Amino acid sequence: MSAFLDLAGLDDRQEAALERLILTLADSKRLMGIRYSDWLLGAPSIETGISASSMAQDEWGHARLLYAMLKELGRDPVPVEHDRPAGEYASVAALDEEAPDWAALVATMVLADGAITSMLRSFASGTFESASNRVPKMLAEEEFHASLGAAWFRRLAETEGEARNLLLAAANAMLPGLVAWVGADDASARLMVDAGVIGPAEDRLADFRDSVRDLLALLDVDVDAVPADGEWDAARGRTPGHPGEEAVERARGDRNRALFVE
Amino acid sequence: MSAPALPVVGRRLDTGLPTHVSVHKSGGRDLWSDPLESPPEDFVRATWDALGEVLDPEIPISLPELGLIYGVEFEDGVATVRLTYTATACPCMEFIREDITDRLLSESWIDSVRLVEVWDPPWTSDRITPEGREKLRRLGVSA
Repeated sequence: MSAFLDLAGLDDRQEAALERLILTLADSKRLMGIRYSDWLLGAPSIETGISASSMAQDEWGHARLLYAMLKELGRDPVPVEHDRPAGEYASVAALDEEAPDWAALVATMVLADGAITSMLRSFASGTFESASNRVPKMLAEEEFHASLGAAWFRRLAETEGEARNLLLAAANAMLPGLVAWVGADDASARLMVDAGVIGPAEDRLADFRDSVRDLLALLDVDVDAVPADGEWDAARGRTPGHPGEEAVERARGDRNRALFVE
Repeated sequence: MSAPALPVVGRRLDTGLPTHVSVHKSGGRDLWSDPLESPPEDFVRATWDALGEVLDPEIPISLPELGLIYGVEFEDGVATVRLTYTATACPCMEFIREDITDRLLSESWIDSVRLVEVWDPPWTSDRITPEGREKLRRLGVSA
C-alpha cells in the first residue's frame, strides 16, 4: 500500500465510520474471547479446553490492539472498553449468546471467527496504517483457530446423528447475520470502502464464502445461497440486538473494577 | 508471620542461564551488570548491550536473543526502543516494559526511555537468534 489514510483530513462522517468499523471489530474480538472462555471447562477434552483458553487469550489481545486504534481518532479507549452498557456493543450478533453446546462453539469458531478474520484481512490490506501494521500478527494467530475449527467441523459434520444436527442448526442460525455483517454496504461502510480502508462488500463476502464453502458443503449448506439477514442497525454496524448483560459485565471487568489497572 | 521462602534450586545445570530469580520483579534482574562508570562511546551499541541483559519473563533468554527488539535509537539522552511481543495477548507485556525501562534507566547516560511497540513484521520463532536457539536447545526447548 503506497498511500495511507490522512487521519487529519477526515471529515466527521468519515471519522464516525472509521470509529464504527474499529468498534465492530474490537467488540467482536472481545465477545469472541468471552465465547471461547465459556468453554474452558466442559470442552470435550482437556486439550480442547486448553485450546479454547489459548484462543480466548488471543482474542482479547486482538481486542486490546483494536481498541487502542481509537486513540488515533482522539478517543480514550478505556471507557469504551470498560464503561459501555451491553446495548452499545457493536459485536457481531452470532456472539450475543453463549454457545449452548460444543457443536455450536465449533460453528462459532469456523463461521463467526472466520467472518471476523475476513473483515480483518480486508482491513489489513487497506489504507489505515495501524491496521496494516497490527492486523497481520492477528491474522497469523488466527490461522491456528481456523485450523482447529476446521478439524472439529469436519469431525462433527461427518458423523451421523446429533452432533451433525447441532452443528447444522448452529450454522444455519448464525449464517444470515454473518453474511449481513461481512457484506455490510450501508453509507458508513461505503465511506470506508471509498477511503480504501476496507475492500468492497462483494470482495469481503467472497473472501468469507471462499473460506467456509467446503466445510459448509459437508453439511449440504450452500454458502453462496445464504441470504443476508434483512434487519440492520446502522448506528452500530450490526444486526439488531446485543450481547447479554452478563457477558458484557465480564468483558468490562465489573467484578474486579476496584482493582482496575490500565 | 514472614512469607515462606522459595525453594532453593539445588541442581545447577551448566547452561549459562540463571538458576534463581528475583522474588520481587520478573526474572533475571539479579544478572544485570552494574551501570557503566562513564558514558559509552557508542550509545546505541551500549543500549543494545544493556538490553541483552533483560530476559524474557517466561523464556530465560534475552529480549534481543528472542528477536523481540526491532530497533534502537539514541538521541539527546533519550533511548528509543522498538519492540514487539511473541503474541498479541502476551501476559508479560507489562513486565517486559518495566524491565527494559528499569535496566536502561540504571545507566546515568540515559535520561529517559521511549518504548515503541510494533507489530510489523509479526514476530515468529524465526526471529530467535542462533545464540538464543542454542540456549533454548540446552534447556531442552526446540525452536
